[in-house]
Amino acid sequence: MLLIIFQLLALAGFLAGLYGIYLRYAETKRRVLPADQSPLKGNPQHGITYAFTLGMMPWAKESTRIHMIAYLRGIGFHIGIFAALGMLIISPFWGFLPSTLRILIACILFIGALLGAAGGVMRIAERNLRGLSLPDDHFAVWLTTLFITVTAFGILNEAMRIPMYIVAAITLVYVPLGKIRHCLYFFFSRTFFGKFFGRRAVFPHPEPIR
Amino acid sequence: MTETIELALKTLEAQLNQPLETALEVCARCGICAEACHYYLAEPKVEHIPAYRSEQLRRVYRYEHDFLSRLFPAWTHAKKLDEVTLANLSEMAFSQCTLCRRCTVNCPLGVDTPLMMRAIRAMATAAGTAPEILVMLADSAIEKGKDPSFYKDMFLDQIKDMEAQLRDITGDPNATIPVEKQGAKILYVPLSGAHTILPPAIVFNAAKEDWTLSIFEASNYGVFLADMNRAKAVAKRIVDEANHLGVKEIVIAECGHAYASYRWDVPNWFAGQFDFKVRSLIEVLAEYIRDGKINVDPTAITQSVTYHDSCNLARNGGLIEEPRYVLSKVTTDFREMTPNKAEALCCGGGGGLVALAEYTDRRLEAGKPKADQIKQTGAKIVVAACENCRLQIGDLNERYQLNVHLTALTDLVVRAMRLPKPLPGQESEHLFEGEKAPIVRE
Repeated sequence: MLLIIFQLLALAGFLAGLYGIYLRYAETKRRVLPADQSPLKGNPQHGITYAFTLGMMPWAKESTRIHMIAYLRGIGFHIGIFAALGMLIISPFWGFLPSTLRILIACILFIGALLGAAGGVMRIAERNLRGLSLPDDHFAVWLTTLFITVTAFGILNEAMRIPMYIVAAITLVYVPLGKIRHCLYFFFSRTFFGKFFGRRAVFPHPEPIR
Repeated sequence: MTETIELALKTLEAQLNQPLETALEVCARCGICAEACHYYLAEPKVEHIPAYRSEQLRRVYRYEHDFLSRLFPAWTHAKKLDEVTLANLSEMAFSQCTLCRRCTVNCPLGVDTPLMMRAIRAMATAAGTAPEILVMLADSAIEKGKDPSFYKDMFLDQIKDMEAQLRDITGDPNATIPVEKQGAKILYVPLSGAHTILPPAIVFNAAKEDWTLSIFEASNYGVFLADMNRAKAVAKRIVDEANHLGVKEIVIAECGHAYASYRWDVPNWFAGQFDFKVRSLIEVLAEYIRDGKINVDPTAITQSVTYHDSCNLARNGGLIEEPRYVLSKVTTDFREMTPNKAEALCCGGGGGLVALAEYTDRRLEAGKPKADQIKQTGAKIVVAACENCRLQIGDLNERYQLNVHLTALTDLVVRAMRLPKPLPGQESEHLFEGEKAPIVRE
């Protein structure tokens, strides 16, 4: 019974977070989207496809080639976040999952949490990141790391499920309020990036003229 | 709240569209953009990280728009805009960002930092804290457009002199520089100075092009101010001229910001009144060479040559392969800088920086990564198809003793045409070592 109450708490957090994100989305969509009437040189659709696929590869940008480890750490952390979120959603049905699969997923989450914690430490230890970070950034990285960690423990140990639902509820409510909401703007941003550079035939990279 | 601050905030609100709000919201402050910025490469400090710069505007935006930030400003470093903050923002946007968008292409989220820097520039311009020289240059161009008759006779006299030079160089007694030719196919828009008129005139005549010269210059300081009204007023002169002459196409001189604005922005500013094509002179050169409309000697330039990608032409303009095609037809030893094309380093002269004398030292320091890049190629000739880049690289040449010869792409093409006489200032003593002299026809 107690577990159901906390499941409902997490569900309320999820819905509140979702509603908050919807409000953010609606607020942004309410703003003007300037129509570009300049004649095409490239293809905006190809640009958008590039922005979400090849353009996200670690070798696609000089910055990610230089900071390959940091980039892959970030990717691993985000895989952990989304895996934890997915697991949270299906948590009432965990009993149907084979135990080997649950252990495997928990391991993935632990790795994600470890990478998240590394990010949190880097924000304190590394000069540039320290200079850039806001209290919101520190809180967000440790909160999501905690969320992944307790979800991993929750998968392995029933006793951890109540703490898991509490942390999940806090995390999900915080999503639209703080830095974590970049998960929404990522889609806007990469779309605008793809449209801009695709239209101008900058990305995907043009072929040499023969 | 003072009137200045009110104006600045009003300008921010007016600009707050979907792309700008996205740029203000999406940054995760991962700092991966640091090395994308030439200011950071030249002087690696937190203040030179693009994310740090855009954060300065975000603080103001959050204070105005973010629920949590209004409750707990310290949580997100939200800040109410005041005179000091506005002055700092203005100084940063005009002196520490060339709007090159190298940070944008290097950001995993695609944060458009130049969009935010433009927003600050617009706020500063509206509030009267933008650099005066840029305002003056934009306003004088607008005035010139109001009454061209004031300087037109003098301009036409200069063109007559240039026409004589053109005939002398080409050996063609019929070569002309047509001005205000009704119904011409191309309206060529130069920059101020004969160096952007004579070489293209040689090319247009050789290609037997149906063209006419604009009486205005392509540069648009309103763009640097991010002041839509001024930028539009400057551009309108040329749009009106093109409409009046009934041309099919506007060809822009070798100029980065002019190309980017006329090709990509002006059609939006004048939607419905703008039914002509806009091309850069670079594209026209590539077409003429490809179609055999001009003859170039592929072995004319034997010295090592490198090409600097202007940010406005390449990354922001999409002119990446065209100049390389041209260079492949007129040089024998072409060397790429690393990185290049869409990833090319900014030279540090963009965004109107070359016009701001008060920031010269900062500009030249920020140009050091480009100077190092040029040195690494070992090239003797640097081609830059943008006037501001050429000015900056010229200064870098001196400051960092690069000992390179700097040239426009069109000048190199003209050299490869091996005309009876060289361009003014490029007589035999200025010929590159190993370059073939013009073919002297009797």
